[in-house]
Amino acid sequence: MQYTIGISDMRVSTQSDDILVTYSLGSCIGLAVYDPVVLVGGLIHCMLPLSKIDRKKADTNPCMFVDTGIPELLTEVYRLGAERKRLIAKVAGAASLLDAKGLFKIGERNYTVLRKILWKNNILIKSEDIGGTIARTMYLQMATGKTIVKSGGKESEL
Amino acid sequence: MSRRNEIIERIRSLQGLPASAVQILNMIQDPDIDIGELTKIIEFDPGLTANLLKLANSAYFGMPRKVNSVREAAIRLGTNRISQLVIASAIAPIASKAVKGYDLPAGDLWTHAVAVAIGTEKMGLALNLKLPDHAFTAGLLHDIGKIIMGTFIEVDASPIMQLAFNEGVSFDAAEREILGIDHAEVGSLLLAAWKLPTDITEIVRYHHIPDEAEHGSQVLEMVHLANNLCLLGGIGSGMDGLNYRPSRIIVEKYNLKPKITEPVVMQIVTGLEGFHSWFNQ
Repeated sequence: MQYTIGISDMRVSTQSDDILVTYSLGSCIGLAVYDPVVLVGGLIHCMLPLSKIDRKKADTNPCMFVDTGIPELLTEVYRLGAERKRLIAKVAGAASLLDAKGLFKIGERNYTVLRKILWKNNILIKSEDIGGTIARTMYLQMATGKTIVKSGGKESEL
Repeated sequence: MSRRNEIIERIRSLQGLPASAVQILNMIQDPDIDIGELTKIIEFDPGLTANLLKLANSAYFGMPRKVNSVREAAIRLGTNRISQLVIASAIAPIASKAVKGYDLPAGDLWTHAVAVAIGTEKMGLALNLKLPDHAFTAGLLHDIGKIIMGTFIEVDASPIMQLAFNEGVSFDAAEREILGIDHAEVGSLLLAAWKLPTDITEIVRYHHIPDEAEHGSQVLEMVHLANNLCLLGGIGSGMDGLNYRPSRIIVEKYNLKPKITEPVVMQIVTGLEGFHSWFNQ
C-alpha cells in the first residue's frame, strides 16, 4: 500500500509491502529512517526549523518543525522495535530560491537543525540529496529500505 | 524564434469567465449593491452556488456555524469576501486540472493559488498593512498564466529548464528568453481579456519581478513574498521548482526576518487545512 505523507506529517511502518512517499519537498526536510533487521521505518516531512516560533502548534503538530518532528519520528520507530545503531537515515530537500539570503534560507536552516538533532541522537546520515533550486519527491520502500528521489522527471536512488 | 505572438493569439481564443461571474463582479463594484439581487444572480448558477457555499463553509473564513444559503453567506461574509469567492469558484474548475507543461498534478496549481491568496493576506497582517480588497484575488490569480502556457500551448520545456537550472537564470527570465513571454505576462493578458481591473493584472504581471513594475503596490509586494514563501514550503511547486529570484529591495524595505515570515508560512499551511475538504472533491 502506498501512503502519502503531507507537509508537516510523518508515517512509520512495519509492513514490507508499504511504500511511503512525500511530494514537493522545497526548503522542507524529508527524512527517511529504516532498520534493515526488523524492517521498521518511517518518513517525515518537516517544514520549518524551530518550534519556538509557536509552541502551541508544536504541541498539536510536532512534525511541522524539524526540532520537534525528528525526535517524534525516532521515538515511533524505536517503539516499533527499530534500534538506533542499525538505523539508516537518508535526507532530501532543503532547497532554496536563487541568491537566497537571510530569511529565505529556510532550507539551509532546516538542514542545520536536522544535523544537530541527528548528531545529538547519535545517528549518521547515510546519504542525501539536498540544496539547489529544485522541488523533490521522496519514496521509502519498506521491503528493502530503498529510498528514491524524483525531481523534474529524473529519478535517483539515495 | 520567439513564440510570443502565437501565445498572445492563443489567449484571445480562450473562453472567458462564466457570464454570471462577470456580472457579479461588476455588480460588486457598486457601493449601493442590492444583496437580494446579487443573491438571485449567484443562485441562478447552480455550480457557482455549490462551490461558493463550500468555500464559505471552509474553516478559513471562520464561520461559527454552517451557512446554508447564498443570502446568508452574503450577509455574514460581506460583499468583498463574496466577490473573492465568486472569482475563486469560477476559477477553481479550470485551475484544479493538471498542468502538464509545469509538471503539476491535478489540484496542485489550485492549492498553490489558494495558498498564495491566504499568504498575501497573512503577510499583510504580519506587517500591519491595511491591504485593499483585491489582495486575496490578486494572490489567487497570480499564476493563472501557467494554465495557458502549460496546457494550451505545447511548449518544449527542455531549453527553458536547461537555461534555468544550468545557468542560474530565474525560471520566468528563461521563459522570456526562450518564448519571448513569461507565464506572469500571459496571465495578466488573460485577465485583461477577462476585463479584470488593472490593479490585479499589474500584480499578476510583475509578481516575479516586482522591482520592475511601473506602479508598485503593497499588494504586489505581498503577493511576491507570499509566492516565494509558498515555493519554499513546497506548496504547488512543479518543474520550475524554487528557481526564482526574490526581491532584495522588498526584504530590506520591510526589514523582514525569519521571525516574521516563518509564522506566515505556518499560517498558510493552517489556512490551507481549512480548504482541504474542498480540494479533494
